[in-house]
Amino acid sequence: MTAPSEAWAPQTAIGVQDAVREAIATRAAIRIAGGGSWLDAGRPVAPDARVLRLDTLRGITQYTPGDLTLTARAGTPLREIAEATAAEGQWLALDAFATSDDGGSIGATIATASAGPLAYALGLPRDIALGVEVVTGDGEIIRAGGRVVKNVAGYDLTRLMTGAWGTLGVITEVSVRLRARPEVDRTLALARAGPAESAADVAAGLRTAAMAPLAAELLNPALAARLGVTATGSPVLLLRLGGNAERVASEQMEAGKLGDGAVIDTDVWRALRQCERYSPGAVVVRWSQLPSLVANTWRHAVECCAGSPEALIHASLERGVVRAIIPAADTAALARVLHPEDRPSGGPVFVGRRIAERLPARLWSAEPAPGTTDRLARRVRMAFDPWHVLNPGILGEGARDAADRHGGSP
Amino acid sequence: MPAPALAAAGGQAGGVTPGAGSDPSPPIDAASLARALEAVVGPRGVLRRRSELAVYTADGLPGYRKFPSLAVFPANRAQLIDVVLVLAEHGAPFVPRGAGTGLSGGALADDVVLVGLNRLHRVLSLDPENAVAVVEPGVVNAALTRAAAPFGLYYAPDPSSQAACTIGGNVAENAGGPHCLKYGVTLNHVLGVTAVLSDGEVVTLGPGASGAESAGYDLLGAFVGSEGCFGVALDVTVKLTRAPQAVRTLLADFMSMDDAARATSAIIACGILPAALEMMDGPTIRAVEASIYAAGYPADAEAVLLAEVDGLAAGLDTDAGTIARICTAHGARTVRIASDPADRARLWQGRKKAFGAMGRVSSHLVVQDAVIPRTQLPAVLARIRDIATRHRVTVCNVFHAGDGNLHPNIGYNAYDADESARVDLAMREIMRICVDAGGTITGEHGVGLDKIGYMELIFSPSSLAAQCRLREVFDPERRMNPGKVVPVHSCREWSRRPS
Amino acid sequence: MSSAGAELRSTTGAHAGALDPRTPLARARKGLDACVHCGFCLQACPTYLALEDENDSPRGRLLLMRALVDGTLAVSDPAVELHIDRCLGCRACETACPSGVPYGELLEATRATMAPTHPIPWIGRAILWLFAGRIRLAVALWTARLFRATRVPDALGRLPGRIGFGMAMLAASRPALDRRSRRSYRPQGDRHRGRVAVLHGCVMAGLFPATNRATIRTLVANDYRIVKARGQRCCGALHAHAGDLEMARRLARANVAAFERAGASAIAVNAAGCGAMIKSYGHLLADEPRWATRAATIAGMTRDISELLAAAGPRPGAPVDASAPPSRVAYDPPCHLVHAQRVTDAPAAVLAAIPGIGIVPLADADQCCGAAGIYNLVQPEVSNAVLAAKLAHIAGSGADWVVTGNPGCLMQIGAGLRRGGHHARAVHPVDLLDAAYSAADRVRAGANNPVTVARP
Repeated sequence: MTAPSEAWAPQTAIGVQDAVREAIATRAAIRIAGGGSWLDAGRPVAPDARVLRLDTLRGITQYTPGDLTLTARAGTPLREIAEATAAEGQWLALDAFATSDDGGSIGATIATASAGPLAYALGLPRDIALGVEVVTGDGEIIRAGGRVVKNVAGYDLTRLMTGAWGTLGVITEVSVRLRARPEVDRTLALARAGPAESAADVAAGLRTAAMAPLAAELLNPALAARLGVTATGSPVLLLRLGGNAERVASEQMEAGKLGDGAVIDTDVWRALRQCERYSPGAVVVRWSQLPSLVANTWRHAVECCAGSPEALIHASLERGVVRAIIPAADTAALARVLHPEDRPSGGPVFVGRRIAERLPARLWSAEPAPGTTDRLARRVRMAFDPWHVLNPGILGEGARDAADRHGGSP
Repeated sequence: MPAPALAAAGGQAGGVTPGAGSDPSPPIDAASLARALEAVVGPRGVLRRRSELAVYTADGLPGYRKFPSLAVFPANRAQLIDVVLVLAEHGAPFVPRGAGTGLSGGALADDVVLVGLNRLHRVLSLDPENAVAVVEPGVVNAALTRAAAPFGLYYAPDPSSQAACTIGGNVAENAGGPHCLKYGVTLNHVLGVTAVLSDGEVVTLGPGASGAESAGYDLLGAFVGSEGCFGVALDVTVKLTRAPQAVRTLLADFMSMDDAARATSAIIACGILPAALEMMDGPTIRAVEASIYAAGYPADAEAVLLAEVDGLAAGLDTDAGTIARICTAHGARTVRIASDPADRARLWQGRKKAFGAMGRVSSHLVVQDAVIPRTQLPAVLARIRDIATRHRVTVCNVFHAGDGNLHPNIGYNAYDADESARVDLAMREIMRICVDAGGTITGEHGVGLDKIGYMELIFSPSSLAAQCRLREVFDPERRMNPGKVVPVHSCREWSRRPS
Repeated sequence: MSSAGAELRSTTGAHAGALDPRTPLARARKGLDACVHCGFCLQACPTYLALEDENDSPRGRLLLMRALVDGTLAVSDPAVELHIDRCLGCRACETACPSGVPYGELLEATRATMAPTHPIPWIGRAILWLFAGRIRLAVALWTARLFRATRVPDALGRLPGRIGFGMAMLAASRPALDRRSRRSYRPQGDRHRGRVAVLHGCVMAGLFPATNRATIRTLVANDYRIVKARGQRCCGALHAHAGDLEMARRLARANVAAFERAGASAIAVNAAGCGAMIKSYGHLLADEPRWATRAATIAGMTRDISELLAAAGPRPGAPVDASAPPSRVAYDPPCHLVHAQRVTDAPAAVLAAIPGIGIVPLADADQCCGAAGIYNLVQPEVSNAVLAAKLAHIAGSGADWVVTGNPGCLMQIGAGLRRGGHHARAVHPVDLLDAAYSAADRVRAGANNPVTVARP
């Protein structure tokens, strides 16, 4: 195995195209890196892959505030977009978890379809992306979608590229939908008594309450303590309310029925997004099933993490997603998380899907690669990256990918 | 531009040849195909007589007539799968069709088989707690909302044809509607699709009713809006929306389109996200007011804005008041707020039936569906007016102003060759200025047959080729809805390129 | 897009045999131009919902008519005949149509154009022949009434098939309310609302004479003065719908003359189908210089009975059975009232004057029941399919009474309910109002033993 070559650092889409074409010519593998957030997630990309840096491909290329749309090069940090739009009273409502210090790039956020607490109310990346420019795995520069908020011209390659982790093409530019910032943006922390049933009655309460929060996130006591929102050792419900003053005041009243609340600094959401930094090298997974079963999902997560006092657990209640950050040293908890079927029975059965975000490299090989190995998915990959030069292995399809790359031809 | 239809349609219903989009392949034995299909759906499920196929020669867009070679109507899921398998065995191209209300000619079958899905109209399940329903493709959009209403839920995407159009068709076209401004288009409300591909394989796309996040490629996102070229939906899982606690509907009337357009831009910029923000111009207002859906729009106005805010009751009147103030500041003569649900329904009926009411203006109609950046509204509307004057045609504008989604309609008499030619020129120019303004050629109607000639205005050859590649992932033989969406030569060039 | 116009032109140019411009359809062709093919009519059409083929939808039939006009299909084409024959003529599509396509007129014109090459089936012809002659019709209906009194039709009505259904219809025409609640009374009224001539109707006079008497009593009770209109005939609706426009015009002329002689200010009609027909006399006789204005005047004076009663208030009655729990009443608007005459609110006002009943909603109430004149006799299968949906909705509503103001609907729904073993019965709104007035009369007379109505 040769030492990894020097990274490409293109400044234009053509530069990216040159890199991809070079990789095709030499049948080399490319590791795409936007802000670099995911380089240490342990994902098994071909070890000989050469890094294609996109942080050099940056800058907002179009922003007319009245249109509430924005176009930026892929490597543009979300922070830069946040600053530009805040000046106009707007925001890009993409607050993905695991984006390191807001340095995450717009391109990587779309490519990984990373979502955060705002996703239920304001949309997933697939709902926010309007169009992309992409260099496909066969070295073509293509555009899909556009810059306007409604568009059905042609087949939807924007959706295809969103969440494909760069395996179909390198996103070089993204157009997104913006929102006007709410007149009032208020965060409440509600302390909850009793650990186990917390999620269940909170979720039920939210569904029937006369409120439509921008975000509703349940935190386990460890995480609540880390974020400094409680000292009582009980779970905490974070609510983000937005709208005009009258509406937020009414929702705040309504929230009072769910627990004793206090208004806290909205900055807590930034801390929550980056909570992995409290636990470097931790394993990060999330569980997802029907929102009506979120209490079940929560109990499953809590049980799996039992014996790991430092495990941080939080739930996006309305989406039915529970996420846990588990210190790598807590091997017993890790084993239960990764192999729940080995766990002594008695707890609630979890029938949804567990998705790994960060794992030690050696554990990725045991992860299932759902949805990327079936016939259609393989054909998509062959159609857009016939030589498998783009992030090969990143979706957990490593062995087959390598075989395709070396033995197959499009 | 499509070839004159009747030249092709004039052929005898004997040997069926694949449609315009396909490469030449051996002729299909029409009689044996019809027999095989009848064996699946029974004799009443297959139409072969030319006189009975005549009603299937058009969708909701007047102006195109294409005769299918035959039409088949499966009555259930099993029959539909078997129909697709029979078509695969015969190598027969085909076009799926819902209610035929589309506005792009997308469901027309040009001498190929038409597969009608209108008989698959059962709501298979409805989960009120998670606000999810699973429906067959032929379920009518408004029927789904009726089924959900007892639970305080509704299906949010509301194309103007919602009283007739089907969910399957909505998925195929990624349909929009007035309330998509706040609630999003069909894509944002579809959680899963089970589809049969052209070779008969049944695939499940998206998380569906399981509710678990799906991993891997967003093939569901690619399928929605694929205009019947990727597969036929067997069932669709949709997200339902909780009925808002309160709604306020405002009607503002203006003496100029320009004022109304500026008011629209100002409302969008002020930070309130209306549920809907619709504009109608003078000729449209007068057509609606002459119809049985007369909504009480001031007949002498040159434009009306229909704005709606909904959600929690608290603070809603403040938002409605802000919108009313903006309208007044931009020259609205009057702003009124619907007094009760019946009044509100009447205001909306006028808007939703406006397209149909155009039949009062003239015998034939072309309708466009361009989208422009919202700040460009006043400038583009002014240029459309100039174009109409120059070509001596009457443009009726009725559109989703909040999205920048224009629907210029031009009524004309198709039997007048000169007028038809002028309408044609005007439409091309309008499309060109919308694209030049940074817009796109279709926002919700789809490309179909009608806009295929404009695709090269907005996509490079390599971008179109990439679309062809995606299509061939799902339908390698390109037998589904041939000749639609992407110009044939774009695909040919790609498949012939040196590797 | 560029070829849009060219394609349409070539549609007409492709065939030489364009329709003779003198035929009724060719003359009505302008109505076809209003259709923009939007499809909003599909879900309003009972035959489309039952058969699920657009050939049996308004949009599809309009395309067939267009093809006849253009000559791309022959008038004698069996497909055209099949799908035009299957239309109920309920005109529900007209109230769904944003463009205002005059579907009913186009349908009649099409049937009239097809009539020379497409004779009406024997059973239809027999019925039309019967209705065209005053004496023979009276004899036939009198015989039917006698036969009805034997109760034999009640038994035969359980037989399968067309005969059985016909017998059940006859049985269903028997008064729905029992004799005691129909007891006659002397209506009080001050006659200030003007002179009203009542259309006797054929089926109404022959099979529903009690309803005709109730019509007169309720009008008098609401201050109308009744005048006689001698010489009136069948309204001609059955003939017009079947394409026999010549006979329809002949009957219309007779009726126009008869009502002119009566000197009334309004004509009351208690059969929705007849009311819709008389209201369209102006259109029917528009091409006859001697009659056009006179026909339009008579048409303009014509009112459904519910319109006249609603205009008067109407005066409230008393509970028919003060001791019983309120009967559940579902209103089923006849197509020719709601779609053809666009009368929607008046029947509700009539029902509001009847205390002691509870109105229950009826799903898809404004969809046809499948009666449609003689349709249920010539198209029994489709008619049954359409009726089945109606019966299911009635069962779902939990109604005891289905109120509808048209004899065809009363007999169709009534027969369906009987054959389906359902406890609900169909009744004319005027009969219910009349019973309430009768009860009020007894209350006034001091009778403190209110009669009990047999619950259906």
